[in-house]
Amino acid sequence: MKLKYRIIPKGAADGTVPLNWAFIDKKDILEAGLTDLEACKVIGKDLGEDCAAVNVMDMDAITVTSDGIIANGAVVGVASVDHGMINPSYGYLNISEIPYSDQMIQEEPHMRLWLTDFYKGKKLFRGPSRADRGNRSPNNENMTMSGRIANNNCGSEVMNMVEMTEILAPFFGQYEIMTGGEVIIGLAGPVVSVGIGMVVSERHGRVFGGDNLGSYRAGMTAHNSGIYAKTVKQDYPAIAAPKNVLAEYTLRALDIGLIPGRHIGSSPAVLCLAKAYGKEIDCDNIASRAWIELESVGITREFLESPSKVMTREEVIANADKIIPGMEDAKKYAVADICEIRYAEV
Amino acid sequence: MKFMHTRLPDFYTKIEAAAKKRNPETGFSVSGLENVKTAKLASLRVGRVEDEISEITEDDDIKKVEVVLTTDNPETLYTVVIKGIQEDGTCKKVILENMMLSAPTVETHLFGVKEVIDRRTNIKK
Repeated sequence: MKLKYRIIPKGAADGTVPLNWAFIDKKDILEAGLTDLEACKVIGKDLGEDCAAVNVMDMDAITVTSDGIIANGAVVGVASVDHGMINPSYGYLNISEIPYSDQMIQEEPHMRLWLTDFYKGKKLFRGPSRADRGNRSPNNENMTMSGRIANNNCGSEVMNMVEMTEILAPFFGQYEIMTGGEVIIGLAGPVVSVGIGMVVSERHGRVFGGDNLGSYRAGMTAHNSGIYAKTVKQDYPAIAAPKNVLAEYTLRALDIGLIPGRHIGSSPAVLCLAKAYGKEIDCDNIASRAWIELESVGITREFLESPSKVMTREEVIANADKIIPGMEDAKKYAVADICEIRYAEV
Repeated sequence: MKFMHTRLPDFYTKIEAAAKKRNPETGFSVSGLENVKTAKLASLRVGRVEDEISEITEDDDIKKVEVVLTTDNPETLYTVVIKGIQEDGTCKKVILENMMLSAPTVETHLFGVKEVIDRRTNIKK
């Protein structure tokens, strides 16, 4: 029996990718008759003396980006593997299914997207439950660690802790990896560095929130780093979806009346899409600390409130590269050119 | 009660003595607590470690013992103390902040090792 998996090897994308990142489709795990943890162990063994971050993906489920946009597909398990080893206490993390509740829709208005035809009835995975976090209760991060590798924020930031390298993959990029589409790879740059901090409040979110709601609401900044927010992640490489993909998913939120700064995060990408699409932005609800960060990358209230031509949905998507700021020295790759499909002996 | 926990300097003395008990020529090093200047260590674990160091030196192939103390939980939480010092050297103001540090796990010490005897307890496996 063989287990199929995808891997973006260290050195891919003209040397930009600093460490191995493997992705396993839940369907392939089930076909091989394995548990998610067993499948990660199989990948670890297949890599011999190498190391990798591993994401287990359920492509029939949904997840939520940090700024509150629902995405197709979900990370349902993460692992760090090194020399075939997975740390027994911290090396694997199951990401819990979160059941639907009316209370969630009330407390987390961005989750109204779940009720749309795009996502209705699909299983939701974001962050781990208290039970799935296990003995991580004193820890801050939703992270796995084994040997040299850390896999953080439920599989969106992975690191080699010895070489001290890191790469990010916003979820839409991971979806492209799994579906063989296209990705853009480059440095996150100041705009993405700021955008990552503009989160929404959730229970059991990918990054924030446990049994209680995360304390950073739409319009706030989790970075809260003033003018330094644009530097905190600007130098890390990132694997992102093409901007027209990001636009499509974000417009679905704007189409149902979700308002940046009130219901969904005030990231530069979301704000610029809303402006181009002529949708309301709750500038009054964006916190002063968030404005400092936005203004540091040129997103001012004056700019957002200035008159501009309102584009149609089609025009926004067609012009997404011009509308959405962010990423530096970015280059578009066919996933087939940076990602290998391998088969590991079970 | 004074024997319940061992002084840090005594720990260093004891484990080096254990490494050299069978053969004074056995090499020895200890690392991992360089930033810890004063501490008390659980005495029963000190005794176990001494005994285990003695045990590992019974293998004639082993010429040196390296003792590494690494955090069991690789994500350690720190408090950052930002001190504002006045001209006379006194501290006028402090800002406290959290810092989370993720470090390589114990597996980095196990690469290529033929025999790993895990005697830790209360570790989820």
